[in-house]
Amino acid sequence: MNAPLKHTSDITDAEESLAQQEAQSVLDSKSATEVAMQNTLLTPRFYTTDFDEMDAIDVTPVREDWDKLIAQMVSDPNKGHFKKNEDWDHVDWENMEPGLKKEFIDFLISSCTAEFSGCVLYKEMKRRGNNKDITQLFQLMARDEARHAGFINDALREAGVAVNLGFLTQKKKYTYFRPKFIYYATYLSEKIGYARYITIFRHLQEHPEHRFHPIFKWFEEWCNDEFSHGEAFALLMKTDPKLTSGFNVYWIKFFLTAVYSTMYVRDHQRPAFHAALGVDPDWYAHEVFTKTSKLSEQIFPITLDIDHPRWQSGLERMQKANADLAKATEEGRFLAKIGAQVRAVSAFVSLITIPARKHKVPASTRLEPAY
Amino acid sequence: MGLLTKDFERAPCTVEISHKFESLHAHVRFNNGAVIYPGDEVKVHGEEIMAPFGEIVIEDREATIIRASKLEQLWTRLTGDFEVMELCEFSFSEEVTL
Repeated sequence: MNAPLKHTSDITDAEESLAQQEAQSVLDSKSATEVAMQNTLLTPRFYTTDFDEMDAIDVTPVREDWDKLIAQMVSDPNKGHFKKNEDWDHVDWENMEPGLKKEFIDFLISSCTAEFSGCVLYKEMKRRGNNKDITQLFQLMARDEARHAGFINDALREAGVAVNLGFLTQKKKYTYFRPKFIYYATYLSEKIGYARYITIFRHLQEHPEHRFHPIFKWFEEWCNDEFSHGEAFALLMKTDPKLTSGFNVYWIKFFLTAVYSTMYVRDHQRPAFHAALGVDPDWYAHEVFTKTSKLSEQIFPITLDIDHPRWQSGLERMQKANADLAKATEEGRFLAKIGAQVRAVSAFVSLITIPARKHKVPASTRLEPAY
Repeated sequence: MGLLTKDFERAPCTVEISHKFESLHAHVRFNNGAVIYPGDEVKVHGEEIMAPFGEIVIEDREATIIRASKLEQLWTRLTGDFEVMELCEFSFSEEVTL
């Protein structure tokens, strides 16, 4: 009989790889006609930034840490990890509770789009930059994001959802972000992503009965990629002390508050997902904020006071206002909409005006994943 | 580029779409070195490019770059930052109910 099929990521010979892809695509068109696949158009956004400013980054002050991190990423410890093996148990999509199925597919599509947009952004920076240190970093991160997106895509296909990459032929507009905003937002996004994935992974290690899909088994190595990307952005910020001092501390506080509160609101909109995992979203939010704050002490001079009495109540008001806003918009009630918007803004103001905790940033930035 | 007028430019480009297990990505590269600035719009001409699962499709195409006017470019630079939160991933879409 045939030798077991190798995975394309393990093949080094182009001929063999082509033959296998051909075999797979036959299989694919057959299975595609058997199941009516739900078609989802991925719609990543396109960005430009100040590429001259990025080229001017000089990593000399953090050279030793930088080279170690890049060497680790080049060694590619997760190569071959993102494929199904015998740990990928059968998923009973047919009998999944419809509410859970909807929320879980939303999770997969949103995560896939996020990984995909990350890939597009990093690749663009790689292509437009001329600074070898920076372009190499972005190339490595784009590799990881494309790999994650491919893995989620595969889980989606199993659920009968086909992603459509046809967006490239649609007209798309390029917006603009300042480099420092990209650093703050992506650094936090990578670190909070790590905290989110590792918290779920550790919880499911203790409660395997709640693991309703095999993809959660891959979260540990997955979040180590997020962790390294966050480390790279921390080192980038370390090269220029101005980025984390003076007026920029207010920007940092803004990003911390915006990211934490958005996460809180979005998680609370997916009750079936969290119930299936056996996770209380309030507990989860506090866990993730605690871990992210601890990690971000490596580079940010402040952390949010998440134990302040106004913190939890502000988040709850924000969540309520957001739900009311959606309802009022749907029902076309103009005044109710304005009211909800005002309440959302006031909740945000109440959160951002909580005095931050200050600390001394360590001289050495680098951390290892420890949760 | 005028203060209020848009310019149109044609540019040859290469589109690469990978729909493979180990990498899901899609990129457009301009082959004449054209550079995109804030507020510009890009339209790749021709049929939608679909890569079957397990394959990479690379095609040479023609694209139109619609150059933003000076004013629009300035506006995009000033206001683009407000949308920066898009870069953050939160696992879920913003839809309140599904």
